Amino acid sequence: MKSNFKKSTSENYKEFEIKQDETDTKPLTKDEFENYILDSGAKGSFMIYRSDKKDEELGVDEL
Amino acid sequence: MNNLTNNEQTESQASAENIFQKIHYESYDDWIANFALNLSYIWKENSAKEIKNIFNQKNDKSSAIIIGRGPSIKKHKHLEMLAESNYDGSILICDGALINTLKAGVTPDKFKKFFVVSIEPYDRITKFYDDPIVDKYGDKIHAIFPTIASNSTVARARLAGMKIFWLHLLFDYNQGKKSFNYISSLMVRAKNHLNGLPAIQTGANVGTSCWFIAWKVFGISNVGLIGINHGWEEDDPIEKILSHGFENKSNSLDMTNQNIKKYTKKIFNSDFNSYCILDPIFEFYSNSFKEFIKRSPDWVNTINATEGGSIFGDRISSMKFSDFLENYS
Repeated sequence: MKSNFKKSTSENYKEFEIKQDETDTKPLTKDEFENYILDSGAKGSFMIYRSDKKDEELGVDEL
Repeated sequence: MNNLTNNEQTESQASAENIFQKIHYESYDDWIANFALNLSYIWKENSAKEIKNIFNQKNDKSSAIIIGRGPSIKKHKHLEMLAESNYDGSILICDGALINTLKAGVTPDKFKKFFVVSIEPYDRITKFYDDPIVDKYGDKIHAIFPTIASNSTVARARLAGMKIFWLHLLFDYNQGKKSFNYISSLMVRAKNHLNGLPAIQTGANVGTSCWFIAWKVFGISNVGLIGINHGWEEDDPIEKILSHGFENKSNSLDMTNQNIKKYTKKIFNSDFNSYCILDPIFEFYSNSFKEFIKRSPDWVNTINATEGGSIFGDRISSMKFSDFLENYS
């Protein structure tokens, strides 16, 4: 399926005819994703917590 | 959205989690220093769980609105609608949205259950508290901070007169008694907080953290979202999309069609009949948030009133914000 991000009324997209063939979309490699985060400066926010105790992943009432 | 198998999507998400963890852990020493500087204040100030007692939040009709700074908030004038409403539930504001929220007339003078939430343990978020309008209303704002928050950020909020409420961020509790989560909890309990503090899953961003606080800490049943797009609008500038909102002015990504194709995805939100564009970080946030919504207890009702964005699917109700205000005011 072809999709087109371009809006004809948007100045922002005059230079960027964005077309995406969704059938060939591949996940970014680890290096690509890490570089993207660093390049975008989006070091903010935080990390996701994982545990073998799955209920604990939703939070702990009193720690 | 694409033809990845479920396994490929799971692996991709897990890989993103590991990368986020690796990047954040580079600041681990700073978190410990932050905690050390905060500890004497934590002992004197409040636990976030006390908010539940102050406002007697828990009942089936209780509601909260989470306010983010996604592009829909301006597009649909949601802050203006809220300012003119008689909503009497809790309002949890992502720190980055605080100043605009106050400027739009959503203030603690009118809305008594008024909270701002920060989770980032970095100095850079101090700017979200550094504005005359924050000082104007500060003494009526309840600020929720993690025990590893930057001391200077909390100091700025305190200077504005805010009442500080503390909680832990879960990050290494799975490592047991050697974990900093465990050790720091013992240090907090050593004085005044004998039962400790709530510890939350952040979902990697402050919007998802607000959602966790609303139901897990406050016990609120109906949690509405505005400005929580976890994605971009179609007419947002491509430079903004590829730089995740101009976070870094020195962004080095080439604005070529090839890169745009590599780094963005367009999805259709069938609940609102709208499109949304994901950068890799928003895709990560969105997938995580939807996972936790799906896993939340049955009594939690998550309502996307953002009127767009990427948060839709299992266990998520969608409605216009005007309808949310009508149903939950």
